[in-house]
Amino acid sequence: MKVDTTAASSKRSSRKAIALFALAAVTIVAAFLGMSVGSVYVAPGQIVAIWTGESSSLSFIVENYRLPRAILAILAGAGFAISGVILQGMIRNPLASPDVIGVTKGAGLFAVAIILFFPHASPLVLPLFAFLGALAVALALIAFARKSGAQPSTFALVGLGVGAVCQALTEFVLVKYPMQANDSLVWLAGSLWGKGWDEIYGLLPWLCVLIPAAFALHRQLDIISLDEHSSTGLGLRVSQSRYGLLLLAVALAGACVAAIGSIGFIGLLAPQIARKLFGNQHRILLPGAAIIGALILVIADAIGRGVNPPVEIPAGILTALIGVPYFLYLVRVEKKRT
Amino acid sequence: MTMRRTNKRSLVQTCICLTVLLAIGLWLSLFTGVAAIPLQTVLKQWSLAEPSKELLIFQTIRLPRAVLGALIGANLAVAGALMQAITRNPFASPQVFGVNAGASLVVVLAILFLPSIGSANLIYFAFAGAILGGFTVLGFASSRGMTNLKIALVGMAVHLLLTSITKGLIIYNEHISDVMFWLSGSISGATWADVRMILPWSVLGLALAAGLAGSLSVFRLGEEVAMGLGQKIVVVRLLACAAIVILGGASVAVAGAVGFIGLMIPHIARKLVGTDYRAVIFASAWGGAVLVTYSDVVARLISFPFESPVGIVTALLGTPFFLYLARKKGRELV
Repeated sequence: MKVDTTAASSKRSSRKAIALFALAAVTIVAAFLGMSVGSVYVAPGQIVAIWTGESSSLSFIVENYRLPRAILAILAGAGFAISGVILQGMIRNPLASPDVIGVTKGAGLFAVAIILFFPHASPLVLPLFAFLGALAVALALIAFARKSGAQPSTFALVGLGVGAVCQALTEFVLVKYPMQANDSLVWLAGSLWGKGWDEIYGLLPWLCVLIPAAFALHRQLDIISLDEHSSTGLGLRVSQSRYGLLLLAVALAGACVAAIGSIGFIGLLAPQIARKLFGNQHRILLPGAAIIGALILVIADAIGRGVNPPVEIPAGILTALIGVPYFLYLVRVEKKRT
Repeated sequence: MTMRRTNKRSLVQTCICLTVLLAIGLWLSLFTGVAAIPLQTVLKQWSLAEPSKELLIFQTIRLPRAVLGALIGANLAVAGALMQAITRNPFASPQVFGVNAGASLVVVLAILFLPSIGSANLIYFAFAGAILGGFTVLGFASSRGMTNLKIALVGMAVHLLLTSITKGLIIYNEHISDVMFWLSGSISGATWADVRMILPWSVLGLALAAGLAGSLSVFRLGEEVAMGLGQKIVVVRLLACAAIVILGGASVAVAGAVGFIGLMIPHIARKLVGTDYRAVIFASAWGGAVLVTYSDVVARLISFPFESPVGIVTALLGTPFFLYLARKKGRELV
């Protein structure tokens, strides 16, 4: 599937649309097949039978565990990916993504604090605090970047540094309250284990607002990912729309972290792959990245569940295993270009 | 960086200051904690046949802890100084270059899959891990066109990868909170056995570093100059790597990943005593000991009466320093 990434003639864009639908179909099939994997194997045929109303001993597992997990993986994967697209476009930095610049760590810190100090807080307030944490980190970074005229790698480095502070504080909280630490640790590594409809209800409203908002802003993203002068010249209020986009990206990342923990590198990988496949036009890049993000997370979750049942490998560790080498590759490539 | 030759007077002053600071820090470390232990009790009962509870705490908990903290601080700071010298990268340190994370990972692997292994043997696994982490990053660093900043970025990414694998592994461990505590870097459970385990390695590593110090000063001038001045570059570099692995690995095996010491202290040491590495290594050792000793006291106090890992304190101190460096060096290298 080699798609030219330059001008978008109508033929090309229709081909891209077909590719988009093909990917979406692949994602749904992967999610479906992934549902059968786990400590109890459920044959795909049986899943269909359960959906069509046949009651069996497995219907509880499918309806309450496998199905919500698959949905959640799709939702959160898409959320992280879109957040990554926005950040990369806005900061004009291929290394930017919610996890690399520490936004997910900030969200994680706030969320862990809430989980430990207010264990009975409703899952609905969790996204709010995760969002606040993510926002705090993002603002700190912007302030920093402004003073130092940040280069891509400086920005990423500082983000990793800020992430390390949040990590240290999170570890402090976890170590101080070891009784509950087990849960938070699984959550911190980023896992869909034990997630269900509650998390979906917590996440869905956010995504329903934020994803359409991101799609609506695709033109602004196109313009802002050009250089500063061109975007001003094209009549964009750069700083205003930049803050709007930042809020959007941070809110998306925060909501996803609140639901499933800080799963790393999807926000980095998915936009990069989507750029290769669909080019740089955000109209098609945003949905493309969202689908790829969903696909990655669905696969990572299924693998994590299926490799060594009943023990689960958190999906976040699998994404880090793929993501870090890719990140290193990006750092090398960036060097050759400059 | 201005090449400032070491000034004898500033070296002497620094040494006196650091020694005084270390003495005060050790004093605080010995007499801070849940149990109040007056000095008189210690002095009076020291030679008694049947020591009281207080003295027992003093002898078996406080004293090894203070000694271990100082040792680890010295180890990590000197390892950092060596790394900065041979890579000429201001970000080089056991934390940023993956040595700590590599050692942690392999130690956790050993604990998980070889549960019968004695804790004394863990140190060898830590060495292997330190080599694994360090050389992954150095492999990247040696390719052409890498700026110091980018190497630091690569190091942080490798660190992230290794840490996330480690986190994934400890989820399966039943003694999860113990391992967590150790991973964050802690010396709260220090015993004389730990001190005995680390001491020979520390002595070996520090001696090696001191022996290399003269060559390292020349190293900072650049590879060609060093070669021209008759340095055996490969030998010096290999020996320095060995010292780094010994110092970093031994520290991680005993205390977990106490981060950022090796990043901060050598910079401060160079500011204080100039660029002669014989002085820098000496000052780094003292400075690292001072920093960990004080951090450990703080770690005991921040959520008194509960212990916090000392690594968290050093991370909170070290990250702002790291950001400062990133900003300064980022501007320099653009």
